[in-house]
Amino acid sequence: MKMSRNLLLLLLGTLSALAQEVDADLLKVKAKMDSVQSFEAGIIMDVDISFINMPTKEATISYQRGESVKFNSDDFILIPKRGFDFSLEEFFRHPFITVDRGIEMYQGKSYKYINIIPNSKKADYAIASLLIDTLNYRIVRSEIITKKEGAFTVNMKYDSDSAALPASMTVEFEVEEVKIPLNFMGRDTDIDRKQIRTEGKKTGQIYLQFQNYHVNNL
Amino acid sequence: MIKALLWAEAYKLMKQSRTWYAIAAVFVLELIVLISAYYRGAAVIDILLNNLKESFYFEGDLLNGNLLIYLILNSLWFNFPLILMLVISGMITDEYKDGTLQTVMLQPVQKKWFILSKYIVATVFTVLMVLVLALSAFLFSYLIFGKSDLIVFIGKLNFFNAVEAETRLILAFLNGCISMIFFSLASLTFGVIFRDTLKTWIVSVLFLIVSNLLLKFDFKWELINKLFYAKLNDTWQYFFQYEIPWNIILRNNLLLVGYIVGFSAIGVVIFNKKDIG
Repeated sequence: MKMSRNLLLLLLGTLSALAQEVDADLLKVKAKMDSVQSFEAGIIMDVDISFINMPTKEATISYQRGESVKFNSDDFILIPKRGFDFSLEEFFRHPFITVDRGIEMYQGKSYKYINIIPNSKKADYAIASLLIDTLNYRIVRSEIITKKEGAFTVNMKYDSDSAALPASMTVEFEVEEVKIPLNFMGRDTDIDRKQIRTEGKKTGQIYLQFQNYHVNNL
Repeated sequence: MIKALLWAEAYKLMKQSRTWYAIAAVFVLELIVLISAYYRGAAVIDILLNNLKESFYFEGDLLNGNLLIYLILNSLWFNFPLILMLVISGMITDEYKDGTLQTVMLQPVQKKWFILSKYIVATVFTVLMVLVLALSAFLFSYLIFGKSDLIVFIGKLNFFNAVEAETRLILAFLNGCISMIFFSLASLTFGVIFRDTLKTWIVSVLFLIVSNLLLKFDFKWELINKLFYAKLNDTWQYFFQYEIPWNIILRNNLLLVGYIVGFSAIGVVIFNKKDIG
């Protein structure tokens, strides 16, 4: 009898957890970001991947609410697949639950730590962890484990307390290093895909600095 | 006297139909390589960036004139010296075959200056041919495919912006000149030694093939890997390392110039010592 009651309590607890509402602070962050109708900015990009040498790149970024972020550059640039979802659209596209993990210290300051777990199989991420600045309602760090594109960690720094958009951003990601035969781009440019070996996962980073923001708020 | 000999040699070289066939062959080859590079370029980029697709979107076109010029450089450094060697060796073997050497030697011409003028004209012709090759490669590639960043794999994926890529490609062509001069003058020396056109062509082609094979051969002794002539002929590739190793490039080029002088000296000495008949 006692055991059945415990099982019932555990079941009720689980259901309660599943039925919990989306974190209120996350909704406030979303509301703040939704107030940004559009913006344009210049970006300076530096790539730090062990097997890539790339000079500092310049590009422009433009965002229109409800649309994906667009980049424009005269040069070739690598754009991380995650990190530019300023309005958190990707999380809110499918149902999810949030789990409050309490307070976590990050770079000498305390932030609210939450997990986002999608309820729908259609979501392309498995879990996300966010550090929310509950004073200024913005995200300072997010870790997203995607289903197909590996894990991404995005760190954001802001110029002022009122700023909704970051002044700089670091995107960390996992990338497979390939070992290409040495003569691949030498005299013998024949391509033999069988000779190409993967060298395991490496962590890479892209540093972005935003400048000359032109923001249109609602 | 040397001035007259130089003009005479230049005139004879440009009068040969073989020379113009060679120039035409270079353009045909370049066109074929350009077309093949365009199709191969897409596959090259696909392989190089395949592992990055998971994490990144790409903005900008890497299949542009700079990549095509780089692929042309890679493809032509075997075919191009072959054409040069066939033309240059003919400068001396034709003289033996046609018997014009005896006629010239009946004039008050020193053998030493006669053969030296051939080496000098062969050098100038080679440089001009590389310039023609470079100019046409840049012209066709940029006109048709535009100019943007260059991606090269040398140990790492190296990206260069368009201006940097262009500078490095020009430097690679200039550096390639030294290798081309080496093969051209080597073939002239073979012509002096073997006299017969066909034999000289066979030896020259064999020399080029062996040199290319030895370029990839890893010798047990590092000193040989550093000093052996065959290892110096792809020095131009160093211009596509992210940090250009100027010391290695300078050392390799000085060594190659030494080999050029050595090969030429052998040719001059043998020509001086041998009877004309």
